[in-house]
Amino acid sequence: MTVMKTSMRNFFAHKGRMALSAIAVLLSVAFVCGTLVFTDTMSTTFDKLFAATSSDVTVSAKGASDSGETTADNGKPPVMPASVLGEVRKAQGVKSAEGAVFSTSVTVVDAGKDNLSPSSGAPTIVGGWNANEARTMKITSGAAPKDADQIMVDADTADKHDLKLGDEIGVISAVGTHTAKISGIADFTVTNPGAAIFYLDTKTAQQALVGESDVYTNVNVTAAAGVSDAQLKKNVTAELGGAFQVKTAKETADANQKDVAGFMNVMKYAMLGFAGIAFLVGIFLIINTFSMLVAQRTREIGLMRAIGSSRKQVNRSVLVEALLLGVVGSVLGVGAGVGLAIGLMKLMGQMGMELSTDDLTVAWTTPVVGLVLGVIVTVLAAYLPARRAGKISPMAALRDAGAPADAKAGWIRAAIGTVLTGTGGFALYLASEADKAKEGSLWLGLGIVLSLIGFVVIGPLLAGAVVRVLGAVLLRMFGPVGRMAERNALRNPRRTGATGAALMIGLALVACLSVVGSSMVASATDQLDKTVGTDFIIQSDRSQLITPQAVQAVKSSPDLAHVTEYKSTQADFTTPDGKTLKDTAITAADPTYATDLSTETVAGKLPDAYKADSMSVHEKFAKDHGIRLGSKIKVAFKDGSAADLTVRAITSSDVVIDAGSMYTSIATLAKYVPADKMPLDSLVFASAEDGRQDAAYTSLKSALHDYPQYIVRDQTDYKDALKDQIGQLLNMIYGLLALAIIVAILGVVNTLALSVVERTREIGLMRAIGLSRRQLRRMIRMESVVIALFGALLGLGLGMGWGATAQQLLALEGMGVLDIPWPTIIGVFISSAFVGLFAALIPAFRAGRMNVLNAIATE
Amino acid sequence: MTSAVTIPRHGGTGGRTAVAARARQVVKAYGSGETRVVALDHVDVDIARGQFTAIMGPSGSGKSTLMHCLAGLDTVTGGQIYLDETEITGLKDKKLTRLRRDRIGFIFQAFNLLPTLNAIENITLPMDIAGRKPDKQWLTRVVETVGLADRLKHRPTQLSGGQQQRVAVARALAARPEIIFGDEPTGNLDSRAGAEVLGFLRRSVDELGQTIVMVTHDPVAASYADRVLYLADGRIVDEMYKPTAEAVLDRMKDFDARGRTS
Repeated sequence: MTVMKTSMRNFFAHKGRMALSAIAVLLSVAFVCGTLVFTDTMSTTFDKLFAATSSDVTVSAKGASDSGETTADNGKPPVMPASVLGEVRKAQGVKSAEGAVFSTSVTVVDAGKDNLSPSSGAPTIVGGWNANEARTMKITSGAAPKDADQIMVDADTADKHDLKLGDEIGVISAVGTHTAKISGIADFTVTNPGAAIFYLDTKTAQQALVGESDVYTNVNVTAAAGVSDAQLKKNVTAELGGAFQVKTAKETADANQKDVAGFMNVMKYAMLGFAGIAFLVGIFLIINTFSMLVAQRTREIGLMRAIGSSRKQVNRSVLVEALLLGVVGSVLGVGAGVGLAIGLMKLMGQMGMELSTDDLTVAWTTPVVGLVLGVIVTVLAAYLPARRAGKISPMAALRDAGAPADAKAGWIRAAIGTVLTGTGGFALYLASEADKAKEGSLWLGLGIVLSLIGFVVIGPLLAGAVVRVLGAVLLRMFGPVGRMAERNALRNPRRTGATGAALMIGLALVACLSVVGSSMVASATDQLDKTVGTDFIIQSDRSQLITPQAVQAVKSSPDLAHVTEYKSTQADFTTPDGKTLKDTAITAADPTYATDLSTETVAGKLPDAYKADSMSVHEKFAKDHGIRLGSKIKVAFKDGSAADLTVRAITSSDVVIDAGSMYTSIATLAKYVPADKMPLDSLVFASAEDGRQDAAYTSLKSALHDYPQYIVRDQTDYKDALKDQIGQLLNMIYGLLALAIIVAILGVVNTLALSVVERTREIGLMRAIGLSRRQLRRMIRMESVVIALFGALLGLGLGMGWGATAQQLLALEGMGVLDIPWPTIIGVFISSAFVGLFAALIPAFRAGRMNVLNAIATE
Repeated sequence: MTSAVTIPRHGGTGGRTAVAARARQVVKAYGSGETRVVALDHVDVDIARGQFTAIMGPSGSGKSTLMHCLAGLDTVTGGQIYLDETEITGLKDKKLTRLRRDRIGFIFQAFNLLPTLNAIENITLPMDIAGRKPDKQWLTRVVETVGLADRLKHRPTQLSGGQQQRVAVARALAARPEIIFGDEPTGNLDSRAGAEVLGFLRRSVDELGQTIVMVTHDPVAASYADRVLYLADGRIVDEMYKPTAEAVLDRMKDFDARGRTS
């Protein structure tokens, strides 16, 4: 019990010194809990939405996905004949049934041809207004659509785009463009996370979305009183036979949930990963805090040992303090996590994803996970310093020196660190030499982990060398103050090492990713320059297919030499070795594609693959299945019939763009797939007549003005877009890494603040013999800068090594160019110096304010 | 007797005054109202240039406070303190710091040296901070005087307590301050090492013309001084010239007895 009491007293006596460690725990726990609360809230929102929108039993066409998502390659939703409705009504236990038409492969524009689709990536849904919809939508102004001229829009979209009754709306589908005027605005009765929804009357919807009358995408069935959904499903299935999908409300909701779960899980685990990095960094901070507290308390602990405390008791007393710290930090962290989640929801709201705080979901597991994680990490981190405290001999009580300088990092540490770093380096070498991506990435992972741990272990030793070099370069010009700053940074290499290592982790990741990112851009640019012959690329940034009307608009645009259509579909391949490969991707393009993209072949000529009943395969496929030029492959096209295609070209596996594609001509595809089942173009390429590039570009842009969902880019635009895309991704990752870097900066502040406390007498002495406040503050700032630069140097070096290795490895996948983004690297290095200055602000200020006499008198 | 102003303002040492530092009606009080404690009660004192002055008194007599105030380490509640002709009471921290750096030397009881610097770096530290080049000849002489020539590259932890104090003395002397203040500089040393350090202080007064003020409670240490001031309850109660250890001890006993009877 006395152990508990002394620990409690110590904890509260030093709460100021614990504050930064508590904040580190708080931040990490908050990030974990925030992520969990946020994703749980999203789940709840979607759960409610799907539960509310699903009818008791839904019947949909065979081709529809499990969740009833209505997209197909031909750009039209899979439909069933209207007669199904009558059959469903005959089934037992049906109270009512109605036919519905919906499509998500649509684009909706306003009168100015501006895209009204959500920018968040949420779907745009156009459908027929019906009773099932009326359950979740309340008409707030105007009326539901009654004829072909009318359309109703959801209130969120109307708000966002400032739409009013009577405004003109265009619905662009594979059928064509249908225009109507807004007749009503309807609001959701549940939270809609961001989809834009438009309603036509059912007849108009059939025409505008499918181009046929008397078809439905779904039939919504309501159960009579006392009939369960499962029973109803059985009855309906029995009535319809197996020709259609029949799903209960729960099954539909689950399938919908599964669709969003994929995206949410990626987000959740990515964010938890970054929280994990922050925890890792926090560990260094906690280790430093407890090491310094133990060092400062050496005499006290020696006294405890002298009067009979066992090692175990001393050890435990430190761990109990860590436990208290962990509990305090985690409890606050859980609270902050909920706040963070609300903040994230607001942020998502700004980006177009509406979430309501009414749905805020804090599962009981969230605080438990937060607390357990926070406490365990804190106690584990304090374990080493606690053990060191236990080893303090009773003699320490008698020794004069309050805090003996930490022993120099021993040779065991040096040996372990060198072995780890060496092994890590070797693994990285193997990764860069690997000729199989899978094996190489294993080596890469191992190399990264080992070299990181190696650097952490060896850090205190490196601190000596690196700080001396930095000192010689930077600090000497500041005379004795610089020299003292250097000596102070060197006096406890373990502490400097740990503080720098914390910063190193975050910056290593930044450096690594920036190298990979910029190599990616450089490699892609290089490949584009080398292989792409076409002038313009037309595509949708939301991977929507290109409607025939839009393709026609491109084709009729002036100044173009040729236009290449590019379609992707799937087929079951039966190869000469007798194997059948289900759902294999095959690309159908116009013969001009062979000049638009120069693809190397190992056998045959690619243009020949576009001849009638011909195709190309890629090198690996050919090798795996014993295919040679002239081999015949039976290709059973999806939605079409089977064809015997002759292999006339084998493409090299060194191809980067469109790697692994197998080509045939659109003409061949058209022979076996009926016109109404033909997949829409996923890409369209256009090449200008010689010297008419600028004119062609302008006319293409105006040709596509009515189709804002498609973007035309010339090669320069394309490269810029690629760069932007990767840049955005990197920025997002940097943003998430900022958490780890903030914790590391707290670590620098912590180390300096505790050092200042530890060196109170020294500071008093220096002030007494004439060191001015300014000089004192400068000395502390410079120590801080040196520590920060030490961490930055290690981190950037390590990260660039990782990045270069990753590039070597990814060269197998076509990332052949190594590009080190020096401006970023140097920028990060210089920023680190400022981080050091910033971290020293408060410790330096407090040191300057110390009363000289009290400082000298401090024990 | 609250005054120890017995020395003429101008002595025979050329243009400079014979008084290195003086205090006039210095009051130092802590707290206010009921809890007010007066540490110095209207003290007048002159510190003679080129002399070794010891300040003695029982614990709580205010002797350390007086030294701290004279040295510009502590602020006073009332009265004036002059260093040579400069009034230091009322100076801002910046000027006080510079004054300590350029014109005053310190020797504390313990923890005099920066552990990160070696002996010679510690000795030249005040000049380094000021950005001044040390006078090579003088430095050599000081180092030889304190007998540290072969220990200059040692870190403080590699030196004995006596050696550490000698480094501190050398540091105080090296910058040629107008006045050196010692706060029980031998308090932590055994008698032999203490005698060594005191011997150096004495010699620096005799041979180098240094002015030294030292707070002590050790009659033997006080006997090295030219003049001893006795403090009790924040006032100067007595002084003695050319003291011997016995005479100081007797006088101390005297005070003790008086303190008990009153």
